[in-house]
Amino acid sequence: MERKTLHAEVVIIGAGPGGYAAAFRAADLGKQVTLIDKNTALGGVCLNHGCIPSKALLHLAKVIDEARGVSKHGIHFGVPRIDLNEVRDFKSKVVSQLSRGISQMAKARKVNVIHGTASFLSDTTILVSTSDGEIELSFDHAVIATGSSPASIPGLPKDHKHVMTSTEALDLVNIPGRLLVIGGGYIGLEMGTVYRALGSSVTIVEFMPNLLPGADQDLVKPLYRKLKKDFENIYLSTKVVSVDSQKNGSLKVSFESGDKAFSEIYDSVLVSVGRKPNSKSLGLENTRISPDNRGFISVNEKQQTCIPTIFAIGDITGDPMLAHKATHEGKVAAEVIAGLPAAFDAKAIPAVIFTDPEIAWAGLTETEAKAKEIPYEKGEFPWAASGRSLAIGRNEGRTKILFDPDTKRVLGIGIVGPNAGDLIGEGVLAIEMGADAEDISLTIHPHPTLTETIANAAEVFAGTITDLYIPPKK
Amino acid sequence: MIKDIFLPDLGEGINTVEVSEVLVKSGDTIKIDDTIIILESEKATMEIPIEFDGMVTDVLVEAGDEIKSGALLIRIESEASDVPKMDEQKKSDKEEITDENLSDSVTESITSVPLASIDSQTPVTVQNKVPFASPSVRLFSRELGADLSLVAGSGPKGRITKEDVQSFIKSVLSNNRSSQPGLVSVPVIDFSKWGEIESVKLSKIKRITGDRLQQAWQSIPHVTQFDEADITELDEFRKTLKSLNQNEKVKVSFLPFLLKAVAQLLKDIPEFNASLDHTGQNLVYKKYFHVGVAVDTQNGLVVPVIRNVDAKNFRELSEELVTISEKARGRKLLPDDMKGGCFTISSLGGISGTGFTPIVNPPEVAILGISRSKISPIFRNGSFQPRMILPYSLSYDHRVIDGAQAARFTKRLNLLLENFAELKGLGLT
Repeated sequence: MERKTLHAEVVIIGAGPGGYAAAFRAADLGKQVTLIDKNTALGGVCLNHGCIPSKALLHLAKVIDEARGVSKHGIHFGVPRIDLNEVRDFKSKVVSQLSRGISQMAKARKVNVIHGTASFLSDTTILVSTSDGEIELSFDHAVIATGSSPASIPGLPKDHKHVMTSTEALDLVNIPGRLLVIGGGYIGLEMGTVYRALGSSVTIVEFMPNLLPGADQDLVKPLYRKLKKDFENIYLSTKVVSVDSQKNGSLKVSFESGDKAFSEIYDSVLVSVGRKPNSKSLGLENTRISPDNRGFISVNEKQQTCIPTIFAIGDITGDPMLAHKATHEGKVAAEVIAGLPAAFDAKAIPAVIFTDPEIAWAGLTETEAKAKEIPYEKGEFPWAASGRSLAIGRNEGRTKILFDPDTKRVLGIGIVGPNAGDLIGEGVLAIEMGADAEDISLTIHPHPTLTETIANAAEVFAGTITDLYIPPKK
Repeated sequence: MIKDIFLPDLGEGINTVEVSEVLVKSGDTIKIDDTIIILESEKATMEIPIEFDGMVTDVLVEAGDEIKSGALLIRIESEASDVPKMDEQKKSDKEEITDENLSDSVTESITSVPLASIDSQTPVTVQNKVPFASPSVRLFSRELGADLSLVAGSGPKGRITKEDVQSFIKSVLSNNRSSQPGLVSVPVIDFSKWGEIESVKLSKIKRITGDRLQQAWQSIPHVTQFDEADITELDEFRKTLKSLNQNEKVKVSFLPFLLKAVAQLLKDIPEFNASLDHTGQNLVYKKYFHVGVAVDTQNGLVVPVIRNVDAKNFRELSEELVTISEKARGRKLLPDDMKGGCFTISSLGGISGTGFTPIVNPPEVAILGISRSKISPIFRNGSFQPRMILPYSLSYDHRVIDGAQAARFTKRLNLLLENFAELKGLGLT
């Protein structure tokens, strides 16, 4: 087959939230942009197999749970009838509507979209393999935005239809009776929540002694208490030794916890043990770029790799592997390419776990502060004192803010409770603006809302709280 | 991740520096505090250490380059986290000024014109690792190339606003303009027409020294007052002290006496211990008595400052002068050691001369120039007697000090040197 040659001012590899943001921003800044993605549907993992479909399903799960929950308050629904085909359709419609939107916006911006796989031939050329043949694409600037894939653990049966990653789990082929989720990170907990609401009996196994390792455990605690009730089992400090396929298609899983060994039979296993960067098969060996031993590509604050004309953004540049970080980095890369003085100088990248309750944080965590001996002071407000929280039938939430002891500026914020993910934005803005405790407490927050808890936490710190009684310090 | 290593802010008054040596190359593994480059500025040579462990991937400067604060020096591959450690600020203060070949004895060194290491009159800015500015202001500062760590915030609690960045840029621009006031273009002259010549590039220090001298000379209305002190008794006393202290490390020179006398006079006539503020409308009186001592080195002039001269006795001052000279020799002189002076003493007494007109070291308002003492016939008590006479001069900023005050200053200095027993706090009993 003949090899075509093309030239692009800017080529973006990967059309996820980072890649398409970079492509569109560069196009809006007058660049001629080519966007390459191996899938027909644009939007990457986030839109097609991640953030968006999982949130559609988590929404349905929440409705089921809330309907059940209000029976305590006098509203009685029957047992829900779940039509899995319709559930799947709802999720797919949300995804396809957004994906089509991206394609249309690409067209409107005259971004040249190529569906194929890309591999570097040199520091200035890429080979794109498409169903119509190969294209040798030379470029002035390239942006690597190939993202990440689910990581795995050794000893799993290969190609077993009941051993899933998050991608298959979101396809919602069936609702297993007993589901084992390997990995107590955010993906495992979110998917466990969905399957449990749809009827599965869910067990979580986590190698570390806590769920959500790395998060402040005081924020995890309310979630842990709830999941302890909702899930069949939560095994912490427990290792999966083997997963063996049974004749009837079920899976026998052997565990090891300390010196204790035991095994259980599950209908399905979901593996959510983290994600690994997609840096292999990119042909990086033909460039001067060498990923580190975990496969991440190093960049500077302009998102440049060691080759100043090749940029990398998003998951492939390292943790945190979050869509909003990728989007921000994508715009920085596009602006730097267009000659603008952009740089990634964000002070905080928020993280959200969309379980119920949700957990969200931004900036400094107490875990990090203690590990790095960064001095801080804390203002904390329990949602049991929030009128709105009680009115929605919940009392387990907490909002805490970490302050600089000298300047009283916000260093970090952590929230657990319903809608924590929507509340965290104010905290991120506070960090970026260098707001201090008074800036927050003197800002009038609407009543009765959950955002008040942010003002209340600042008031607790400032000693001006009236919604709690805290005896004066001696 | 890959880290860009930029030239840190080198302190007030340093605009560009010349790279004199690059000590790393691509592929080198470097450790925290390793020196990566050596710079030459008007304040002598400076070593720039690295704050992370890592591997050098790119070197973007070479010897001879003229670079500014914020210039990209090297790129390194480092595991280090971006979160500033608590001691990072301290670390950045560690850049040491190193002066090679600083003459052995500070006290007896020869100095021409004092310069270097003065506090400029720009407002004090709080150096913070993370500037107190919103994302839009941070972007704005990148657009203008302004270093936010140098911008003083005028917003609530010191927040840096867009207007602060604008006025910072304006002031930098106008400073640059006024640094070359009234320069006339110099005609090209072919000196070789009249004989053999050799053209040698001025050292960086000479060039910057030249700019600053010109600025001081052109912006300050100088007057120089000449006088003579009879130091016959003082000289004899010094010789006695010297013989008593022969085995000790401490040198016995005139300088501690001069320092004590000057400190006493700065207290008595506070205008000499003042500075004009940046508006030129206010006089700032200082309640501390720090005196700079101009020292000639092969690389140029440095003016280490002796702090709180009024509170130190003869022995302490003598020891400190030795310490400073050792510090300089050991490349340990910190920028702070040369800042905050109220008055400068410059001595050419080791060589020759009956008088010279030193240039005031702004923002100070006066400078004492010491010439060579000699025995002169002085008419005293009815006859000519051989006396040890010290000629000296006092240059001052006439905007702050008038002639009568200057004359009073030298008259009292004469008296203090002649009746050195009246010097307070010498601690020589």
